[in-house]
Amino acid sequence: MSAVFSLTMVAETLRISAPYACAAAGGVWAERSGVIQIGLEGVLLTSAFTSVAVAHATGSAALGVVAGVIAGAAISVGHGLLVEKARVDAVVSGIALNLSAMAGTRLALRGLYGSASNSPAIEGFRFGPTGSAGWSLLARVFADPVTLLAIAAVVATPFVLARTRLGLRVRAAGENPVAAAAVGVDVTRVRLSALAISGAVCALGGVHLAFDQHRFESGMSNGRGFIALAAVVVSGWRAGRAAMACLAFGALEALQIVLQDQARKGSLGDLVQLLPYVATLLVLAFAAGRSAAPKGLGKPAEE
Amino acid sequence: MISSRAARNALGLVFALAGVVLVLNLVAFAFGQAPAATLRRVVEGTWGTPYGIGQVLFKASPLLLTGLAFEVALRTGLFNIGAEGQLALASLVGGAYAAKLPAGTPWPVAVLSALVVAALVGALVALPPAIMRARLGVHEIITGIMMNRVVDVIVPWALTVVVGSSSLRTGDIAPGAAMMRLERVVPSFSGSAASAAFPLAVAAVYATHALLGRTRVGRELRFLGLNAEACRAEGVAVPRRLAQAMLISGAIAGLGMTSTVLGYKGYYELGLGAGAGFSGIAVAMLGRGSATGLVLAALLFGTLEQAGLAINARVPKEAMNLLEAVVIVLVAVAAHASRAPAATAASPASTSAPEAST
Amino acid sequence: MPAPVLRVDRATRRFGELVAVDGASLTLEAGAVSAIVGENGAGKSTLLKLCAGVLAPSSGRVLIGDADLAPATMAEASRRGVGLVHQHFMLVGAFRAIENVVLGAEPVRSGGRLDLATATARVRELMTASGLPVPLDAITDDLTVGERQRLEILRVLYRGARVLLLDEPTAVLSPLEAEELYGTLRRLAAEGRAVAVVTHRLDEVVRFADRVTVMRRGRVVHEAELRLEGGGRRPAAGLEEELTRAIMGGDPPPPFAPPAFAEGAAVALAVAGLRLGDGAGRTLLDGVDLEVRAGEIVGVAGVEGNGQRELVRALAGLEPRAEGTVTVAGQRLDPRARDAVRARRSVLAVVHEDRHEDGLMLEASVADNLVIGDLGDPRSIAFDEAAVVARRLGRFHVDPADPARLAGELSGGNQQKLVVARALDRLLSARATGAAVLAQPTRGVDVGAAAAIHAAIGEAAAAGLGVLVVSADLAELRRLAHRLVVMRRGRIVATLPPTASEAEIGRAMLGVEAA
Repeated sequence: MSAVFSLTMVAETLRISAPYACAAAGGVWAERSGVIQIGLEGVLLTSAFTSVAVAHATGSAALGVVAGVIAGAAISVGHGLLVEKARVDAVVSGIALNLSAMAGTRLALRGLYGSASNSPAIEGFRFGPTGSAGWSLLARVFADPVTLLAIAAVVATPFVLARTRLGLRVRAAGENPVAAAAVGVDVTRVRLSALAISGAVCALGGVHLAFDQHRFESGMSNGRGFIALAAVVVSGWRAGRAAMACLAFGALEALQIVLQDQARKGSLGDLVQLLPYVATLLVLAFAAGRSAAPKGLGKPAEE
Repeated sequence: MISSRAARNALGLVFALAGVVLVLNLVAFAFGQAPAATLRRVVEGTWGTPYGIGQVLFKASPLLLTGLAFEVALRTGLFNIGAEGQLALASLVGGAYAAKLPAGTPWPVAVLSALVVAALVGALVALPPAIMRARLGVHEIITGIMMNRVVDVIVPWALTVVVGSSSLRTGDIAPGAAMMRLERVVPSFSGSAASAAFPLAVAAVYATHALLGRTRVGRELRFLGLNAEACRAEGVAVPRRLAQAMLISGAIAGLGMTSTVLGYKGYYELGLGAGAGFSGIAVAMLGRGSATGLVLAALLFGTLEQAGLAINARVPKEAMNLLEAVVIVLVAVAAHASRAPAATAASPASTSAPEAST
Repeated sequence: MPAPVLRVDRATRRFGELVAVDGASLTLEAGAVSAIVGENGAGKSTLLKLCAGVLAPSSGRVLIGDADLAPATMAEASRRGVGLVHQHFMLVGAFRAIENVVLGAEPVRSGGRLDLATATARVRELMTASGLPVPLDAITDDLTVGERQRLEILRVLYRGARVLLLDEPTAVLSPLEAEELYGTLRRLAAEGRAVAVVTHRLDEVVRFADRVTVMRRGRVVHEAELRLEGGGRRPAAGLEEELTRAIMGGDPPPPFAPPAFAEGAAVALAVAGLRLGDGAGRTLLDGVDLEVRAGEIVGVAGVEGNGQRELVRALAGLEPRAEGTVTVAGQRLDPRARDAVRARRSVLAVVHEDRHEDGLMLEASVADNLVIGDLGDPRSIAFDEAAVVARRLGRFHVDPADPARLAGELSGGNQQKLVVARALDRLLSARATGAAVLAQPTRGVDVGAAAAIHAAIGEAAAAGLGVLVVSADLAELRRLAHRLVVMRRGRIVATLPPTASEAEIGRAMLGVEAA
């Protein structure tokens, strides 16, 4: 039982939650600005691949992080441009984003490394004590620059949304784009800014994923973008709560690892993965009618 | 005389094709292949040989049904993003059912009952989004995504635990349930996986379109997509029709397993038919609401997928998945540029003409 | 004579074929409250939007001070001291009031952090100076309509507006609030601002405005100074009539004579104790009692938002939570019945107030629009759709009478004819007993279509239907109805003859008990 309340558990929870929390914070940024974003999965994959590719090519982990974040922001803004400028349905654009990220990263894997499954290993960041449990593990988590950046971005999100000019305008664009435009807010610009931030924050999750494994694996996001989306919806589009939901899910996953769940394959254990999705469906069913979704979600600024 | 609508549709198609060729060339070039040679290989692998044609028809078969499924929902103003999950679970259960049939089951019974099972399972997966949308007003996109993920988790679990297979596949289906291969009628298709599922799917597209245009249910579904509030005020049973549209859509998506499970493999294995649900969205959008358009769009996407296999030795077949994404975006951009009425639920048709409101 | 602060010089604004504002000129001076009046569609709001840079003129100029408003954008107009208070509030409901005030002009500290403390202090000063109290920390959705309007005005003042434009500010206000609002506007004008108010209430103009501009069909047709040299005001006597004539264009419309109505006729529509809440604790209908007899036309007057829309929806069967009884032609209608709308349609015809929202599929054919809810109607096994469509088109002279045309391609008047035709024909061609309920039957339609619709309403009554007409246009109701009822705060507060004076009806609408 002690394993459950151990430092290892804390460290594993933080490590596992980081990509979820980043993607969820990214989702909050996009959707609070009024742009439906189901392409978080694609942002995770793209940024994970880009960071590894650049880190591998330059030998610099820091450059890898920067490149990953830029890539995430760029395709997120691309999504925004398609939706806001070309008026492509946001769901269609999101599906296309996911498909092209999935196919594009595979294509690039084969093109660059001649492998269909994974990239060569990268060094990444290796700070802190060695050892695979307890204090050393926790210290390593907190010594990892990507984890620290991720935590900073996730923690900063609710504050920036609530307390800054940008946050106010993002929320206005998401709640009532027509009213925001009527007082001179450039809704399209605000939304594109929000999507750049969304992509960058989500990308930190993708970079974390790849650096944690010290390589890129095909399809390594493995549905995390969708779980993050579920967290966003369940939390009522509130950044703080979405992060908590991700932390809870990370703890659950960490629990499985810590307890070395022997009977995982072929038991009900696999069905634990259903939890975030079923919870989302239930929350939606019971909160129906008092939807917390931003009122201007998916609505253009002009008629 | 070409109508402006036909011209617009043609424009969208040209736009999409141009994008496809451009991206294909870029990718081929990046992989050190001469674009012209790659293009030639694409043509030879698809429409250049009878085998290639058969394969295109095979690849197009599930897309006809997932495209049709998406279109039925879209016509009603619903966005059935859940076809992927509906198809996957229907494939699994339909395959498992067909495998349990006694070997001597006569084919009409075997095929029909397997199709009924697949349709029911497809509708079942669509049921939570359908009910939540119709009765509670919960948007079907997020519930559809969640159902896709639920199926993603359930299918491998069910294959190992319920079916008890370590190789993540069902048993072989009863011989009576297998779709006849087209090579028995057109011998030159020999070796291709095209089966009777293709003509059946085409027939389903035209039949469904005819029904939608002429029956009360079909017309009311379209009315709903155009202005649900007006329908409510005029006494159309809006929640009932919404649920029906979603369930019909799910059932049709479920039938997409005909060509893969019954017509090709003869069993279901993990991942069989994956992607057809999402591609169906693009097929339906490219088809622009006409039966012939849908068939042509499905053939285009079938061609892309088969072309991916044809070039795989030199240029990875993922190139074709990338092309699909490009087509989806280009089609959507072209649709907006030509100002086609897009009756998606995400953007309810608030077409308020500029009036001198005082 | 103070210098003009804002001047519109022969401005024209077109929307496609439609000329909303046609060579109109307007001068706003510091210290004066100007009123702009006119019928629906006369171009008042469009003119205001030209002043505020929301719309750019197709030709002509807008000058602020001595210089053109260029570029003609809202941001530029706002920068140069012109602020518009929209008819439909432009507020973010989920925001705190103070957030709505600063949105778009936020004071920030380092790092882009909002400085709401400074903003709150400034807004509190403005509130005291202008007499516009608003709870600044409350969520905007929780504010009353009056508070939301004050918030909009504060927002404009916060940006330092010297020209204040208000579009129908009193349409949503109670009489006391309206009077207070004009007091505030007078004070703001006295401080050196120019104020312009678009309104359709002539009594307000007569009492509070310094000058009035009358618009008709996009043109300025009449102007009058109401403040006399030396500080006095023009006497009210004759002034309202003068303005009415200008608004109408001289000739009063051909008198519509409602068909004769026998007092003793059977009750066609009876409503008793009709109640409806919004599910969040607010009462929308508070015990409506109402009777309409066969052949009678009853007009429902009232300030918009006092339950008229909900009354029509409840009668139509669209509000399953409605309590109380609705009886039509002796048949009790259950709001919770399965297919409630369809079930009551054999005795009840309903036209909802917004034809685009609740009536038409603009991208479907005229034919489809004429039979939306009639498909598979069990009463007509041999439902001959083409014949029904042809009859409905012919009966109401829809122009063009082409069933294949898209509804969106028709003019507003002909679109409205479709909606009225669908509702009335269904009842009249079957058995002509029951009731018809029409909300805003001629809103935003041209005079010809309005006349055709009025004639159809008269025919329906003559055929024996009880007719209930809800309209914001008091003149229309007085012409059309045998009897007027006045709605206020979700209940019927007065019953008056159509000959009652506008002032008398107005007092009932505003809840001034002295009448």
